[in-house]
Amino acid sequence: MAKPDSKNAIIVVENLVKKFGDFTAVDGVSFEVHEGEVFGILGPNGAGKTTTLEIIETLQKQTDGSITVDGINTIEHPWEVKARIGVQLQQANFYPELNLIELLRMFAAMYDIEVKPMEMLKKVQLEDKAKSYANKLSGGQRQRFSIATTLVNNPRVIFLDEPTTGLDPQARINLWEMIREIKKSGTTVVLTTHYMEEAEQLCDRLAIMDHGKIVKIGTPKQLITDLLKTGFKKEVKVQEANLEDVFISLTGRHLRDE
Amino acid sequence: MSKAFRKPGQWKAYLLLTYSSLRAQTRNPATFAFGFIFPIVFISIFGLIGGGNSKVTLGIPPQAETTSTIIAALEKQSSFITLERSDYQTLEKRLKQGKIAGIVQIGREGETEIVDFTTSSANAIQTAQAQSVLRGIVDQSNLIESGIVNPPIVLELKEVSGRQARYIDFALPGQIGFSILSTAIFGTVFGLIYLKKALVLKRMFATPTKALTILLAQGSSRLIMTLIQTILILLVGVLVFKFYLPHGIITLFELIILTSFGLIAFLGFGYFIAGFANDENSASPLTNLITLPQFLLSGTFFSTDVLPKWLTPIANNLPLSYLNTAIRHVTTEGGTLVETWPYLLGLSAWGVVMYLLAARTFKWE
Repeated sequence: MAKPDSKNAIIVVENLVKKFGDFTAVDGVSFEVHEGEVFGILGPNGAGKTTTLEIIETLQKQTDGSITVDGINTIEHPWEVKARIGVQLQQANFYPELNLIELLRMFAAMYDIEVKPMEMLKKVQLEDKAKSYANKLSGGQRQRFSIATTLVNNPRVIFLDEPTTGLDPQARINLWEMIREIKKSGTTVVLTTHYMEEAEQLCDRLAIMDHGKIVKIGTPKQLITDLLKTGFKKEVKVQEANLEDVFISLTGRHLRDE
Repeated sequence: MSKAFRKPGQWKAYLLLTYSSLRAQTRNPATFAFGFIFPIVFISIFGLIGGGNSKVTLGIPPQAETTSTIIAALEKQSSFITLERSDYQTLEKRLKQGKIAGIVQIGREGETEIVDFTTSSANAIQTAQAQSVLRGIVDQSNLIESGIVNPPIVLELKEVSGRQARYIDFALPGQIGFSILSTAIFGTVFGLIYLKKALVLKRMFATPTKALTILLAQGSSRLIMTLIQTILILLVGVLVFKFYLPHGIITLFELIILTSFGLIAFLGFGYFIAGFANDENSASPLTNLITLPQFLLSGTFFSTDVLPKWLTPIANNLPLSYLNTAIRHVTTEGGTLVETWPYLLGLSAWGVVMYLLAARTFKWE
């Protein structure tokens, strides 16, 4: 399945298997992520998205299969891989007694580098929260800060696990903008989601995952075209606008004072 | 691409994680409550109750015999005996409650003056003390009354210099031990479990900082915190309650070494519980099981001498007992650090066992 791609592959996953006792969470998964793209792993809860991500991030060890990130094998050189990636975990917290500047300095030290915390906070529109504690932030602010921590080491790839889950539409659209900015700066983004709209709007390519397997990979357009080729027809005519469009047009796209 | 990898440096991470953890601790009210406020409050209470409790109180009801020299002689013993004057009924009630050691009444039967001493079993030790004082006074009076100027046996008293033992001298070393144990065990257990549960640690593992660096930084920050606490407790002790450092700055230096030693040993307990337990609910009983008996039995608040005999060997070998004994040895007893080696050896043995257990059972998630 994983044939050498014409494009520059920054992540190559081959026959990845992860078993927890009798349960196979990831069942022979292979895919490549191209340099500079936003790659989405789309699937229902329990499909194995988070496990796959955490194995690539060297937070879990696979039962079988191999992975290279930026040409480096994750089993042989986990520390070099860690130094080149940025990781945002689902529901991870920070030291509750440290403010955002202190936390960013701490993360920088953990990569053995120096950063300018205010510049980093400006990138994620949190400069006025510099002295706030992380657990006092709203959901959207916390996700933005979490993304800022993934950028500390100027990584080649960042991994975002369900970055917009639980956010209101404004915060979600704002986060998409931020992810597009990150892509523009040349960083590859791998994210998981179970929002179709997010996958379609944000991702250059998608892997659809279910029961530990990748069902299909392609660009959103390509996936839709392939479906239509099979003679699929949507039963109801697509509305010109949906409720989200109504909500956004009434309440605006700007972020709220969270 | 270049495969000449740079080894991830750990120094900067270690230093900043230590600083961050220290910063986090200073902003956490629990740190000050357990490590500083509690010990100071205890010391203040002990410092205040320190002086007066060795006095014996005797009840003196209105006397039938007013010319007796006995009462006057008792009054002269005011450094040791307090006289409480009241009616007999009140004094008898006080006697039964053990609040006074006895009631002294002077009567007369013909030529003989009778010193009537009513006692109760409620306060046996003080009663015995009062009785011997009273007997001494009576004997002395008899000699004078009999006109004996050169008695055949004379008691001569000699005194060697010694410091008056006060309760604060006992209590303060115990409070230093208490504060070390609290910071090392409570602080580490609940601190680490939070970091574990809230996935703060997991997020750190996604960086090139090694787990050992994170644990070392945690330990170092607790060490610094404990040293600050010890010095503050000593400062309050010395300035407010005249706690005595027998060799001045050398004793202080010895205390700093003992504090560090104790903290490192007790951190083993902290790491063991924090690594073993998954959440606060499973950590709490285990933490209490380890700390409570030590607070009670290790001579923190009262001496292990008062414990039942069968309990003494257990109590004396608890890690906090070793630490408390060592701290008292260099302070109250005026000994040297080198002489505390048996206690430090005992403490090390506990520490090594705990670190080994922690290494075997530690779970990061």
